[in-house]
Amino acid sequence: MRLFIEIAMRAFRLQMSYRAAAIAGLLTNFFFGILRAVVLIALYDGREEMLGLSLQAAITYTAITQAVIGYLSAFSWYDVANTVYSGEIGSDLLKPINFYSYWMARDFGRAMAALLTRGLPIMVAYEIFIDISFPNFLLNWGLLILTVLLSWVVSFSWRFIVNLPSFWIPNAFGIGRFFFMAALFFSGFLMPLRFFPDWVVKLAYLTPFPHTVNTVVEIYLGVLSPVEIWLAFAWQVGWIVALILVGQWILKLGLRRLVILGG
Amino acid sequence: MASIIAVKKLDKHFKVRKFHRGRFSGFQNFFTREHHLVRAVDGVNFEIQSGELIGYLGPNGAGKSTTLKMLTGLLVPTGGEINVDGFVPSKQRKEYVSRIGAVFGQRSTLWWDLPVFESFELLRHIYKIPEKLFKKNLDEFRELLELDTFINTPVRSLSLGQRMRADICAALLHDPKILFLDEPTIGLDVVAKERIRQFIQHINQDRGTTVILTTHDLSDVEKLCNRILIIDEGKLLYDGQLEQLRQKFGGKRQLVVDFFENYPEATIEGAEIVEINGARITFEFERDSIAASDLIGRLSSKYRIRDLEVKEPEIEETIRRIYEQQLLK
Ligand SMILES: Nc1ncnc2c1ncn2[C@@H]1O[C@H](COP(=O)(O)OP(=O)(O)OP(=O)(O)O)[C@@H](O)[C@H]1O
Ligand SMILES: [Mg+2]
Repeated sequence: MRLFIEIAMRAFRLQMSYRAAAIAGLLTNFFFGILRAVVLIALYDGREEMLGLSLQAAITYTAITQAVIGYLSAFSWYDVANTVYSGEIGSDLLKPINFYSYWMARDFGRAMAALLTRGLPIMVAYEIFIDISFPNFLLNWGLLILTVLLSWVVSFSWRFIVNLPSFWIPNAFGIGRFFFMAALFFSGFLMPLRFFPDWVVKLAYLTPFPHTVNTVVEIYLGVLSPVEIWLAFAWQVGWIVALILVGQWILKLGLRRLVILGG
Repeated sequence: MASIIAVKKLDKHFKVRKFHRGRFSGFQNFFTREHHLVRAVDGVNFEIQSGELIGYLGPNGAGKSTTLKMLTGLLVPTGGEINVDGFVPSKQRKEYVSRIGAVFGQRSTLWWDLPVFESFELLRHIYKIPEKLFKKNLDEFRELLELDTFINTPVRSLSLGQRMRADICAALLHDPKILFLDEPTIGLDVVAKERIRQFIQHINQDRGTTVILTTHDLSDVEKLCNRILIIDEGKLLYDGQLEQLRQKFGGKRQLVVDFFENYPEATIEGAEIVEINGARITFEFERDSIAASDLIGRLSSKYRIRDLEVKEPEIEETIRRIYEQQLLK
C-alpha cells in the first residue's frame, strides 16, 4: 500500500508538471463540451424535458462527460503496450514489484492529476458560463466520489487488458482502437444511454463500459432510486473483480512468452 | 565451493518471420507464415563462483544480451537450466530480482521523467531498503560516481555518461549479491570509462559482489576481468583466462630497438624487420621460436643499442583475429 502511494504520488506530480498539455487538453475538452451543449439545446427545441432528462440535466451531462475524458483516458491509453514495444518493460520487470499494481498505481496518480487539472476546471467553467446542476445533499456527494473512484478502477482494468495483446502481436493498437470506440458508445459518452433504443442499452450492459461514464452521470444527476444506486455500485464492483482477475491471468500468460526487445 | 551461477545446456531460439521479396511478395507475405529459427544462444554451459568478475565477450549478434536477459529472468529459456543463487530466474521473478542488480547500457532502468534522486527514492521503497543502508550506500556511490552535479536533474536530460553512472548506482543501492552489466561503457569517453571501471572493481573487491559484464571495449576486460567467456553465434567458444588466450592466439610479439647509429642492414636470425625509422627498427618474432632475451643478446653482440622495448600483441588485435578467422572453432 505504501509503495502504491509512493508510485502514484510520483505519477501524479509528473502529470501535474505537463502544464502546457493540461491547458491544451482543457481548452479542447471545454470547446467540444460547449459544442455538444449547443447541439443538445437545439435538439430539445424549447422542450423542458426529454425521456426523463431536463435540459439542464442534459447540459450537465455534457459537462461531466467532458470532465472525465482525461481522468478515464477515454480516447486512448497505450502506456503499457508502448513499454512493450520500446523494451522499457524490461526495466520494470527487473524490479521486485507486482507488475499489475505498479501500473494501477501509475494510472491512479495520472488520473487524479487529470481530475484536478482538467475535470474540476471544466465543471467550474460550465457553472460560470452555462449554469449546471450540482448534487444537493452531502450524501449524494459521498456517493458521487465513490462512484467516480470505482469508474476509474473499471476503466483502468479494461484498458489494461486492451494493452495486453502487445505481448503477442507487433501492433496492438488496432485492437485497442476497436475497444476505445466501443467504449465511447456503450459508456454513454456520446449520448446518454437512455436516449438509445432498448436493444442497444441491453447490448451495452453486456460490457463493462456503462459502469464508467454512464453510472457516474446518473448518480450525479440523482435520477436513480436508492436501490438502483446500490445496484449500480454492485455492478461496478463485480466488473472490477472480474476484469482484474482476467487481466492478471492474461498478463501471466503474456509474461511467459514475452520477448524483451533491444540490446 | 558451490558456484553462485550455474548454466547448463542453455538455449534460446527465436522464430523469425520470413518475408518474401519481389513482385507478388505482398500477396505471399499475407498468405504464408514461414519462419526460420535463430539460435541466439545454443547449448551454453558455464559456472561462476561467488566473487568472480567475468567478462562476457563476442561479436555483434553473438548472443550476449540474450544470455544476460535469461540470467536476469527477463527471457524464458527455450531449453536448458539456469540456477542463480538457488533461484530459477524466470520462475520466481519478484524474489529473484530483489537479489540482483542489472544495467543494460542501451537503456535506462530509471524513470525517464523523474529526477535522479526521485528515482533512487522510489527504488528505496520498491526494494524496501532500510533507511540507514540506503543513506550509507547513496553517500558512498555519490562520491565515487560523482553524481552530485546532476542528482536533481530528470533522467531524460542527462548525458550518456551521467545516465550510465546514475543507472549503475541505482542497480547497487539494495546491495545485490550479483551484478549484471550489459555494455556499461558503451559510448563513453576515456575518463568516464575509467571512472566506471574503477567503480566496478571497487564493488567487486570491497563488497565481494559477483559481476558479469559484456563489452566491446577490450580495455574494460584487460583491466577488470580475470576470466573471460567468449560466445559467437550462440555457442560458447572459450572459457578461461585472458592471458592464456593471448599466449595461444596472440600472434607475433614485437621488439622495438633504438640504436646509436643507423643500421639499415641490422638483420638478425629469428626475427623479421617490419619497420625502419632512422635509428629505430621494429622486429617481429614468434613467441614460440625464440625468447626475447636471446634475441636481445644476439642484437647487442653485433650492434650498439641505446634503448629497447618488447611489445605484447594488442588484445584488441588478438580478439579481432579470433573473431575474423574463427580460430576457436
Ligand atoms: N527478439 C528477437 N527476435 C528475433 N531474433 C532475436 C531477438 N533478439 C535477439 N535476436 C537475435 O539473436 C542473436 C543474438 O542477439 P543478442 O542481442 O544476444 O546479441 P549480442 O551478443 O548482445 O550482440 P551486440 O554485441 O550487438 O549487442 C542475434 O542474431 C539477434 O538478431
Ligand atoms: Mg547486446
